[in-house]
Amino acid sequence: MALLEAIGIGKTYPGGVVANDGVNLVIEPGEVHAVVGENGAGKSTLMKILFGIEQPNAGRLLLDGREVHFANPREAIDAGIGMVFQHFSLVPTFSVYENVVLGSEPRNGIRLDRQRAIAEVQELSERFRLKVDPLPPVRALPVGQQQRVEILKALYRNARILILDEPTAVLAPQEVQELFVAIRSLVAQGKTVIFIAHKLPEVLEISNTITVMRQGKTVGQVKTSEVTEKSLAAMMVGREVSLRVERKQTDQSECVASVEGLRVVNARGTEVVAGLDLNVHAGEIVGLVGVEGNGQAETLEAIAGLRSIAEGTITIANENAASLSVLERRGLGLASIPEDRIAEGLATGSSVAENLVATRLNDRRYVRNGLLDLKAIKAHATKLIEQFSIRVGGPSYAVGTLSGGNMQKVVVARELCEQPKLLLVNQPTRGVDLGATQFIWRTITDARDKGAAVLLSSADLSELLALSDRLVVLYRGKIVAAFVNTPDLTPETLGTYMLGLSTQTADEMKAALK
Amino acid sequence: MSNIPAIDRASRWKTIRRETLRALAALAIALLVTFIVVLFTSKAPFEAFTQLLTAPVSRVRTVGLWIDDVVKLTITGLAFSLVFQARQFSMGVQGQVYIGALAATYVALSPLGATWAGIPLGITAAMLAGAVYGFLPGIAKAKLGANEIVSSLMLNYIAIELCNFLVRTNLPKPQAGVLTTNDFPDSAVFPALVANTRIDLGLIFALVAVVVVWFALYRTSWGLKLRLVGHNARFAEYSGIKATFIMVSAMTASGALGGLLGSMFVQGQTYGKLTVLFEGGLAFEGILVAIVARSRPLAVPVVALFYGYLRQGAQLMNIRTDVPAEVIGVVTAIIILLVSSSFSFGFIKKLFNRDPARVSAPVAAGGAAK
Repeated sequence: MALLEAIGIGKTYPGGVVANDGVNLVIEPGEVHAVVGENGAGKSTLMKILFGIEQPNAGRLLLDGREVHFANPREAIDAGIGMVFQHFSLVPTFSVYENVVLGSEPRNGIRLDRQRAIAEVQELSERFRLKVDPLPPVRALPVGQQQRVEILKALYRNARILILDEPTAVLAPQEVQELFVAIRSLVAQGKTVIFIAHKLPEVLEISNTITVMRQGKTVGQVKTSEVTEKSLAAMMVGREVSLRVERKQTDQSECVASVEGLRVVNARGTEVVAGLDLNVHAGEIVGLVGVEGNGQAETLEAIAGLRSIAEGTITIANENAASLSVLERRGLGLASIPEDRIAEGLATGSSVAENLVATRLNDRRYVRNGLLDLKAIKAHATKLIEQFSIRVGGPSYAVGTLSGGNMQKVVVARELCEQPKLLLVNQPTRGVDLGATQFIWRTITDARDKGAAVLLSSADLSELLALSDRLVVLYRGKIVAAFVNTPDLTPETLGTYMLGLSTQTADEMKAALK
Repeated sequence: MSNIPAIDRASRWKTIRRETLRALAALAIALLVTFIVVLFTSKAPFEAFTQLLTAPVSRVRTVGLWIDDVVKLTITGLAFSLVFQARQFSMGVQGQVYIGALAATYVALSPLGATWAGIPLGITAAMLAGAVYGFLPGIAKAKLGANEIVSSLMLNYIAIELCNFLVRTNLPKPQAGVLTTNDFPDSAVFPALVANTRIDLGLIFALVAVVVVWFALYRTSWGLKLRLVGHNARFAEYSGIKATFIMVSAMTASGALGGLLGSMFVQGQTYGKLTVLFEGGLAFEGILVAIVARSRPLAVPVVALFYGYLRQGAQLMNIRTDVPAEVIGVVTAIIILLVSSSFSFGFIKKLFNRDPARVSAPVAAGGAAK
């Protein structure tokens, strides 16, 4: 008998977006069940229904063969379902064990029994191979470990079924492997894991069964052993896809942007970028490689004008840009796709049209004498919605109602609807599905082919290797290696430099640092 | 693509309808609870409740009281909406009212007050003073990181006490010891629009203010920037919008509205002079109006119409029956609670009409039902 079964689930959001339409899902006990599909395919909605955050308009949920209704997550948790979201819900200043037990603390009278809590968390973390120190505050941990804390939280509440919503999206390659070790140990000990993912190689590696969703419907359920990456991708998208990007030969002689001796100090006084020299030429993509937190994001922010610099010069299109405002730099032809679209790239409460015009409020096409030209703004939005195939009801819909990939498309549309001279890109496809990834890669490459200088930072090495002309590796705010991208450059080679295990000499770097 | 505008409009109407129904339902529930409270506190509860519901329209004069309240609530509601849309929680409208009133008073009692310039100059002075007073917590936040809630509340006390002090000491008054100034010359008092009521020029100002604020927020680039800052200040910075400038200017503009309200108080038919504590806490009730109106300028006067009615009803009930006006505090609190919580019709439907299958199901799931 199936452990958890969803039959004919239908969910229509207010506003008429049909997120789920007759979705079926059969989860067997003790399996790793991957749910794959493009953005807006309805995966997240289905998971929210399983976890009681959303209530379906139609269909039934069976747990152990009996029909259940979860009015809220509490009821789902009580029934043994745990969920780890893409955006963690942890208290950063609380210690690991406090976060784990929060809400169901072991008590000693009315007091929290700290010793027992620590012991229990330690025991859980050892049993399921989720190694994490229970004592330090959560904010001091890297993302991978924070995720383990989230998983421990669910296990502490006796979850039998664990839903992981795109767990690998935030992890470095090594951390992904560690997560998979933990998942295998969970399954070996009788837990069941539902795994939402975008990256097909990972899905093929970890899952036993795969359910494919497309446009709110289930396309089918397959055994992992019976599919290939290609056939799976075709099922997801409904057509053949290739994750290769064709690139044109470009003239890379003109230097569009350069930084010299760039130093950036963060709010806590630590030096995060320590004397960086870098040139980016028209028609090339330079990949910033590095474990997150080694100065890539800060470098991009400094160039964009969002972070003040301690020392150094920034030149954009032959102008000294170090003292220019964000808008003036944008005026020089700078565009930027930020790392966190919700926190930085969009105002989710505003309409799609307003988001699309937000960076052009000094443009006479949309604003004259301080007055908005609503017609032009709307026409601009309608055009971009069509051109970038953003799935939305209309220009005046709030961005917050879109799916993750469509939100990202709004950002990309805004930044790339006019050919930029310099494009800064940070984690363009984090948490974005296959179809959208393909589209975003294509768009970035197009910008390059048309002569934009692109500076790309990504946690996904395969993305960097697929897109970049040159790669520079950052470690502790310094360039430790530089490569011209060739087919024989491997993630492993980059990895040793990323972790600071070795450093190239100035001579070795020279060729790739033109 | 051609059908999109129609969908847009339909969805907008849907939102308006939903929000209106929500507000009305909140009102109904609040009135129900009020009735229960009145039932317990009054010897003649039905009479008292009838007074609450009908007193404002019982005479021309009371209609005037009602409309006067609506006008003032509209202005303070607009002032709060403006800062709330920029997600600045400045509470300074009250202080701006007092400072604005002081400025208007100095103009009205000066030689200029007796000329045709009494009204326009009084209003201008009041708005300028209010703007400066709104600017202060804004600049303090931008330059010093001072929390605008705290600084604006403290500035309120300073304004109230300053007004108090000046009325007692240096402003001309009819006789020593009274807590009001001399009556303003007629040329400095807003003419009544309806004779023998408090309905005066202020009504026109309120209507104009609604349109101006709406226009500024939804038709100018400043308004769009302001709303973008309110939705996500980091995104605004990233887009090249100077978030701090927008923040401070929103608080300054809101201050000008607060100042205008000050002049409407003292130069209106209600007073025609400055007295201590003239505002009676009305400025703060703009918070309720703004919250219920979801900071939408066009919804503000509608909400003010309902809320002003209840406010007058409660005051008249206080005078005519044995129920204290404070009862209206209960209504206010419940409305705020209901409107600002995620209360919806689904909730009410669930409350009154629980489908037996839904209730029994969680029990089957292992006693998870509450």
